[in-house]
Amino acid sequence: MRHPAPITTQTATTGLLRRYLFSTDHKTVGLQYFFLSLAAVLVGMVLSLLMRIHIVWPKAAIPFVGEIKPENYLAYLTMHGTLMVFFVLSTAPQSGFGNYFLPLQLGASEMAFPRLNMAGFWITLFAFLVLMAAFFVPGGASLAGWTQYPPLSAVASAGPGQGRGTDLWLLSIGLFCLASVLGAINFITTTLKLRAPGMTLMRMPLTCWTWFVTAILTVLAFSVLLAAAIMLLLDRNAGTSFFVPAGLVISGAAVDHHGGSPLMWQHLFWFFGHPEVYIAILPGMGMTSHLLSVFSRKPVFGYKAMVWATIGIGALGFSVWGHHMFVSGMSPYAGFAFSTLTTAIAVPSAIKTFNWLGTLWHGRIRFTVPLLFSIGFVSLFISGGLTGPMLAQPALDVYLHDTYFVVAHFHLIMAMAGVFAIFSATYFWFPKMFGRMMDQRLGALHFWITFLGAYAIFMPMHLLGAAGNPRRYSELTGVQYVAAMTPLHRFVTVAAIITIAAQFLFLVNFFWSMFKGAPAGENPWQCTTLEWRLPSPPPRHGFGDNVPVVNHGPYEYSSPGLSSQAAASDFLMQDAAANP
Amino acid sequence: MAIALLGALLLITAATVYLFAAHPWWFPAGVSAHAAAIDHQFLVALWLLGALFIAGQFLLGLLVLRSRFNRTAEHSRGNWPLEIAWTLLIACLFFWFNITGNRLWSEIKLHQPEPDALQVEVTGTQFQWYFRYPGSDGKFGSINAQRFARPEEGNPLGIDPGDADGKDDIVSTSLVLPVGHDVDLTLHANDVIHGLFIPAMRFKQDTVPGMSVHTHFKPLQTGTYEIACSQLCGLGHYRMRATARIVTDQEFKQWLKGH
Amino acid sequence: MPRISEHVGIERKPKLGGGGPGKIPHRHGYGGGDDGDHGEPDDFLSTKDRLRRYRIGMVVTIIALSTFFAGLTVAYFLRLSVTHWDRDLQKTVRDLRPLALPYARLFVNTFILLVSGITLELSRQGLLAKSEFAAMGIAPPRFKTELPWLGITVVLGFAFLAGQIMVWNILRHQGVYFSANTRSGFFYLLTGSHAVHLAGGLLVLLWALVASSVRMRFESRQIAVEVTAWYWHFMGVLWIFIFALMHFSRG
Repeated sequence: MRHPAPITTQTATTGLLRRYLFSTDHKTVGLQYFFLSLAAVLVGMVLSLLMRIHIVWPKAAIPFVGEIKPENYLAYLTMHGTLMVFFVLSTAPQSGFGNYFLPLQLGASEMAFPRLNMAGFWITLFAFLVLMAAFFVPGGASLAGWTQYPPLSAVASAGPGQGRGTDLWLLSIGLFCLASVLGAINFITTTLKLRAPGMTLMRMPLTCWTWFVTAILTVLAFSVLLAAAIMLLLDRNAGTSFFVPAGLVISGAAVDHHGGSPLMWQHLFWFFGHPEVYIAILPGMGMTSHLLSVFSRKPVFGYKAMVWATIGIGALGFSVWGHHMFVSGMSPYAGFAFSTLTTAIAVPSAIKTFNWLGTLWHGRIRFTVPLLFSIGFVSLFISGGLTGPMLAQPALDVYLHDTYFVVAHFHLIMAMAGVFAIFSATYFWFPKMFGRMMDQRLGALHFWITFLGAYAIFMPMHLLGAAGNPRRYSELTGVQYVAAMTPLHRFVTVAAIITIAAQFLFLVNFFWSMFKGAPAGENPWQCTTLEWRLPSPPPRHGFGDNVPVVNHGPYEYSSPGLSSQAAASDFLMQDAAANP
Repeated sequence: MAIALLGALLLITAATVYLFAAHPWWFPAGVSAHAAAIDHQFLVALWLLGALFIAGQFLLGLLVLRSRFNRTAEHSRGNWPLEIAWTLLIACLFFWFNITGNRLWSEIKLHQPEPDALQVEVTGTQFQWYFRYPGSDGKFGSINAQRFARPEEGNPLGIDPGDADGKDDIVSTSLVLPVGHDVDLTLHANDVIHGLFIPAMRFKQDTVPGMSVHTHFKPLQTGTYEIACSQLCGLGHYRMRATARIVTDQEFKQWLKGH
Repeated sequence: MPRISEHVGIERKPKLGGGGPGKIPHRHGYGGGDDGDHGEPDDFLSTKDRLRRYRIGMVVTIIALSTFFAGLTVAYFLRLSVTHWDRDLQKTVRDLRPLALPYARLFVNTFILLVSGITLELSRQGLLAKSEFAAMGIAPPRFKTELPWLGITVVLGFAFLAGQIMVWNILRHQGVYFSANTRSGFFYLLTGSHAVHLAGGLLVLLWALVASSVRMRFESRQIAVEVTAWYWHFMGVLWIFIFALMHFSRG
């Protein structure tokens, strides 16, 4: 049986700069992306807190911020969405954990193009800084929402924040597109070319499968967003009229554009935007499948079906973008097509849900913190996912579009389920990354408050939407029937305050455990995949010269015949000898 | 821990069911011709998807609890017949639901308004709705916002002062409609995208600059109903409201005469 | 060049796949213990595998670029079909004006680009043949067959870019600016994006050209020219597509 000699920490032949900052080591790059996401999620969370407080207590004076003005609210809204969708959900699961663990799980010693990897991170960091700079320019950050529909986003006089703030937003997103595509090139090449001997595609852990399919989606979708962003920048700064029609009068002044189509932006944006939400959730699904198997001590139920469902979701994801545009002025005939295709994509998602339940069935569950968050993922995915078929129907979407019903839907499924997957991955892989365990009791408390808090915040929003509360209202006082819903908004705000406060438990746990956590061994969770062969944390060159040879699938738990082994373990590492 | 999880899932499921059943805030009464069908479809959705929600959460909790009593995990890799069976079941359910929805959509969108439908032109601006009626000649005057719009002189839409057809056009900030008649709306916007949303009519349509969108509905009950803007349009998006006043035929004629 | 009697592992035709199971990659350049970053961080697989890796990376890059230009093309078609209600004329109009392309200059540029593709291909194959010698452990012959072709490609590349600038100048003197109308906007956008991407490839070729006189590894140069050749050919095909698109939709 192959067992690499532990490679001790490297001698200090390389400086601090090379090792921690400008490193081409995929593990360092992964951690850099992770900490960037952490910074982004903290900013995004604070913004959402300010938004919720402003809605129910508009005159409140917040420390350090003062009173929140209407343009602030819309700017916070835009930046909250942008940060969370791009810099958290499209970064942490894929570029963060993927960069760290894809090579390790495949038995490779590095990603395919390490310097490209490093470049990708620095471009992403630069994009983040450009985005944050929008808060500080005259007019402040953009207020057109993360969807930036023109003409609102195309004409600087349409509102404060629509000047330099929007230009910076577009520049930031353009850079982010570039960095994402660079990263995806790395992921695809690594998965295709750098698998260890014996690691066939059907022996890859499901995390690797979802990283792979997500990378393919990234390559195909982000380029279109880049094209659209360039065109919008040109409309704003070069006098072109891709998206701005003739005859507009904004702020009392005639706008000198002609012949553009605002709907074209929506088509281009959502052609990217819908695959984007699958980019955000697929790695989380792979993570959940992986963890449910590890902690039920049985193989994933229907591995092949899971692979095909992943590919199906990825492929179908490109055909459904019109369901964001049922009331946009698009032809009603298109509504039929998009509605049917959207319903179709519910089927592979349902397959995955059944298979998660099937994995848990007759398992011997170990109630670790990663497992708790995985179960939370399944629960939230069911809740958020089931309102999807409702919104997929144009007849119903006519009423529910742009109301809090949609806000509830995508927050439950992206913000909560997606984030739960990030939490579960963090608690799970923390021992491998830092050599120490996170505190399990603090982690469980974090789970409970966040899980119950998530439902408390977002379930009532369905009612707000049913009652017709439109989205992106900075105050509730403008429309009478909306003002009547203030009590429910208050409840949601209080729930949000408590849940956000509980995230401190996670932060404290994370940083304290980095230095003072209980030492983790090589394989504290008794997991079969290859990264658990290496010391915690792994040495600079991973497997080095000891390339693993893979003989087994990734989920050999409780296999019959294992009990006959001398070792009293219920699992088989992937590179264990072929005939134990 | 397993019991706690089951308990939490049951609590969440029960609370959600209660929330949707008791619905202290809910749809306003639907008063348009299509409202009943839409509300019915929503109810079907609620029952179908609600049942799946309850089943899913309950099953999750149950499976977690049952595992407490397992000595060893069963080494099952899957079960193709089961996989195919439940996939087909879900697919049939969802597609049946989709087909009923599509039928409803074609009813709403794909038939023409009645020939005697009232013509009203809606224009969304930052941050005010305007509703234009053609007046006694039944024709709209030509409009060019860039050339003729003078909000301070009472011509916010920019009706061409030289056009005879436009002399009797009525521009109102309320949508006044006679009950029981189809109204054929033509939706425009002068600056950015807005969204005309009348919850009681179950009506929503974005107004897009550069586009002229036709859509129609029929109000069935008199009363006053609020109109909100549903597409983010800038700072005043939250207060871009208007009123839809549904009145009897007689009152409507009087209102027209009064303008 | 002497005839090669034995082909050692390097295929003449580009071949994808073949990595993965069944091969123990050959490693060189590691000891344990230190950072390993002696300037060649991706020195962790054999030459053949490195080449295959970069080829796959280039394929994915080309796919990404295709979707970018596809997005622009789709936007162009959408815009061509957009009508709007003209309130003065009281009817639906299409706001389009024909585009008069400077064909003479464009054909010259096209010719230059296609010839540069041929010269680059000659260079690529020369380097490929050389690397066979290297794989056999024989020092490659001193005569540099590939460098002149590489140099000519670089010159032609710059000539193409200069030619594009001339095309834009011709249009500007006719009063056809970026923002003039739909067709002109897309013409500048498509040809501009193409030129920017071509310039990127040109920089890589320039580096490969210069690197031969500095102590740069032959292998890295060969791989750079190899994958940039694929990229360059894609740019050539893309140019023909853009030219044809603008011609057939000129109105």
